[in-house]
Amino acid sequence: MEHMGVEPGRLSFSWISSAESTKFVDVVKEVTATVKALGPNINFKKTAKVA
Amino acid sequence: MLGYIDNIREISKRLLDEGRVDMIIGFRKGTIPLMNEPCFVKNSGELSTLVWDSNCGINLANYLTDRKEKIGIVAKGCDSRNIVTHIIENKIKREKLVIIGIPCKGMVDKRKIAGMFENGIEDITEEDNIIRVKSRGVETSLNKSDLLQENCALCVHRNPVIYDELAAPLIEEQKSVDRYADVLRIEAMTAQEKWEYFKDLISPCIRCYACRNACPLCYCPTCFVDESRPQWCGKSQDEIDTRTFHFLRAYHCAGRCTDCGACERACPVGIKVRQFTSKLNKDCLDMFGWEAGLSPDQRPPLDTYKPADPGDFIK
Amino acid sequence: MSEREPKIVSFLCNWCSYGAADLAGVGRMEYPPNIRVIRIPCTGRMSPKFFLAALMQGADGVWVSG
Repeated sequence: MEHMGVEPGRLSFSWISSAESTKFVDVVKEVTATVKALGPNINFKKTAKVA
Repeated sequence: MLGYIDNIREISKRLLDEGRVDMIIGFRKGTIPLMNEPCFVKNSGELSTLVWDSNCGINLANYLTDRKEKIGIVAKGCDSRNIVTHIIENKIKREKLVIIGIPCKGMVDKRKIAGMFENGIEDITEEDNIIRVKSRGVETSLNKSDLLQENCALCVHRNPVIYDELAAPLIEEQKSVDRYADVLRIEAMTAQEKWEYFKDLISPCIRCYACRNACPLCYCPTCFVDESRPQWCGKSQDEIDTRTFHFLRAYHCAGRCTDCGACERACPVGIKVRQFTSKLNKDCLDMFGWEAGLSPDQRPPLDTYKPADPGDFIK
Repeated sequence: MSEREPKIVSFLCNWCSYGAADLAGVGRMEYPPNIRVIRIPCTGRMSPKFFLAALMQGADGVWVSG
């Protein structure tokens, strides 16, 4: 993805066990912060509606 | 490479006469110069149509998918690697195949040559390392090594990795070629530059899917671009749709692509389709030490787990 | 004007992160409201076409969690 020009951080991966609700909350915060910092997704969004 | 023809015909004749195969998949002369076409030879009378020269860039493994007959197939280095991939993916049985290995010295880039002759090409012949092109009665001699397809110039697996018969002695592999110079150049760009680079790259794409059809890896019964429920990607030439198509096609080839260059060769508008797959090839080599189709006994990296697999991208 | 809130499409594995999300809810924990959860039966169900489709249709980010 990054190689083809999508900003790093748009896509993230994580591994959380079903017992780790605290980690879940942390990761949600982190991911939200990264995406917020990147700003809106302008490049990849399809502007014309699918015909 | 011209000397191969007699050997190919001789081996094919033997295989057909002994009944070891029902047909031979090879090349015959195309109707226009530079475009040899695949052919299926079923009886030894037709063997004289088989040819071999530097215009046999099409990947013949493409014609093996789910075939049930006993097949003799002419295979250069990349074809043989795709045959291995087919065997791993259960698309063909090894027992059904007799592979006629061709140590390949590279195929010429038809686009490069066609671009050099504005008046069209009447005929093309070759001899060792010299290509003779006839255009409007004028004959020009060219050096073959200047005209190789990009992937052939960078090829390090010219000899077939799997074969039953050989049409010629194995040749020396190319060493010290910088295979991933292009990838490194793109890696050095910023996200926005990369975005623009690929935007320019695919802007002429007309979504004909020739790259997909030429690719021996693309054998899904229904391709994701043809699916309409859900529709993963639009069918128009919308920039984002086109990009999604090329992204996803590249992803499907991850860990399987042998860099045979069939996609690039097939593209009617000359897009360097390999720019998408070569990054994934490089990553496979760097992360898993894997190159596709080298041995039928090894499982590909994306369907095995090893504790040492890279996982740093996971939080 | 308030800051634009990004939309993040989250693909959560039924058995791992989806459970964690459930537990976070049961525990009344607070987290940003930007994620839109899609439950998948296993992270193995994930396919590149999912996140490409999400980005194409306007998601600002995609998060895959097993």
